[in-house]
Amino acid sequence: MTEIQAVPTTQVVTPRVRGPIEMQLKNVAVSFHGRTAVRDCTFDVEKNRVTSLIGPSGSGKTTLLRALNRLHDLTPGAKVSGQIILEGTDIYRGNLTVTELRTRVGMVFQRPNPFPTMSIYDNAVSGLRFNGIKKKSLLDEAAESSLRSAALWDSVSSRLKVAASNLSGGEQQRLCIARALALEPEVLLMDEPTSALDPVATLRIEELMTSLKSRVTVVIVTHNMQQAARISDDCAFLLMGEDRAGELIEFDTTEKIFNNPVDSRTLDYTLGRFG
Amino acid sequence: MDPVAVDILKSEEVVAGNTPAATPRSWYSNVLVVAAVLFAAVSVGFVGSIFWSSLPTWVHHGGTLLTSSAWVSPAGPFGGLSMITGTFETSIIALVIAVIIGLGTSISIVFFIPRRFRTVVATLVELLAAIPSVVYGLWGLLVIAPWMEVTVNPWLNKWPFAKTIFGNSGQEFGTSLLLASIVLGIMILPTFVAISREVIAVVPQDLQEASLSLGATRWQMIREVVLPTAKIGLFGATFLALARATGETVAVALVAGSVANAQFHLLYPGTSIAAWIATEFGESQGTEISALMALGVILMLLNVGLALISRALVSRQRKVLARV
Repeated sequence: MTEIQAVPTTQVVTPRVRGPIEMQLKNVAVSFHGRTAVRDCTFDVEKNRVTSLIGPSGSGKTTLLRALNRLHDLTPGAKVSGQIILEGTDIYRGNLTVTELRTRVGMVFQRPNPFPTMSIYDNAVSGLRFNGIKKKSLLDEAAESSLRSAALWDSVSSRLKVAASNLSGGEQQRLCIARALALEPEVLLMDEPTSALDPVATLRIEELMTSLKSRVTVVIVTHNMQQAARISDDCAFLLMGEDRAGELIEFDTTEKIFNNPVDSRTLDYTLGRFG
Repeated sequence: MDPVAVDILKSEEVVAGNTPAATPRSWYSNVLVVAAVLFAAVSVGFVGSIFWSSLPTWVHHGGTLLTSSAWVSPAGPFGGLSMITGTFETSIIALVIAVIIGLGTSISIVFFIPRRFRTVVATLVELLAAIPSVVYGLWGLLVIAPWMEVTVNPWLNKWPFAKTIFGNSGQEFGTSLLLASIVLGIMILPTFVAISREVIAVVPQDLQEASLSLGATRWQMIREVVLPTAKIGLFGATFLALARATGETVAVALVAGSVANAQFHLLYPGTSIAAWIATEFGESQGTEISALMALGVILMLLNVGLALISRALVSRQRKVLARV
């Protein structure tokens, strides 16, 4: 941990004017078979910004993230309470089907996981195909633009029909990002997307996230505090409570969380006093 | 590490043990070596003696065995064509039945049956494999055969092309190649389900979630991600089930009718290689034994081949998943 970040700033920061809201979380809690895994999550995800979820293991970061595109639906005994509102619609109770929601809120996983039996091209357009788009010109166009957005086009354009498993780990993860972007989602959820990658590949993904901000809102779970500090605009700090359930301790701009947090536990964590 | 452990590691005996020549062989390793040599000798002797006893047939009547379907006891000729075709017919139809029902069962067990019933259903299906095949044979003969004779066969005979496929002679048999296929299909179902369920269940969770996160329905996830990823292993399961079907003896002997007929019609009685060997062996001698041994060689090669293919496929699937 760098000392510079740790020194509390004394200057008074004028509150930033909040931009338009993409997703609102109101008292979100997730439980499995009646045991609460994470609770009390209330914060707004602002449009076209990167919001990071940080906290030690067991603090419920990933559990919270997976609630945002209803991935807990298939887990027996899982229950999500509170409200998650995407552009005015409650994603659990509102007038939005789960498949529709997932095309608007995409996800990138911890492990680069392109579909192993599909080519690079087929992976890139798989989301469109799942949603019934068959027209070749549309698919071609989407494949190119999503691979370009993921900074992958130049290295793969000549071998689109090659199996995705031939790519390096970093390239595979960018293909997964391209796959999600092809659906032109409003939100991209990323669950520790660089934890399986080497530093160079990590850096490229981080650059990519910053460049994607203009067109998609990113929510990223990371265990790497430097990464959160480098790339995110807003930051939610979660911690495991007495009863082993994660809870939101503090949400603010990343700058505030790292330099001048309200809660002493946030400071302790960002200083690396526990983890 | 505690100091004692370090001391043991450093002790001379262990260091000396790293050089094989220095270790005196203990008596039990000698026993193990003898057992292994014995086993190898028995295997070679077994296969060798089967080939040896079948040799006269291969030398003198090899062509007849493979091309003729006339089997005349006790002097010959001994044509094995109808057993060979019977084996393939019954096994392949059985396989179609087992793969269709089995794939549905495996997918249901993994994806649709509530978790708490999953183990129960899977265990029940796999317990079917523990039932002795003679019981299947009796069940086919006593329960299914009369029903086939009275209800199913007359109904099948009404279809167009029934004569070419089923053989509509006006006479209805209870025992038939079709009945043998059905009983075989049920018998190999547990084998197929046990392996295919495993192959499907180990498709990584995050691949499935990735497809759902792209707006796939559960069914699209299964069809376009899970099954293609598991494909090679599913073929492995298919070949293993086929190997079981071709080698099955008692049940087929009971329900196929044990008739060496030169026909392919499914509603006629017929036989398979394994069933024919079992039913004929007791009353045969001399050249007929040699001919049965030759059939045994064919069956053995077929089964070994299928088992090898199956193993190669399953290990390839493991490699695929290791890369995923």
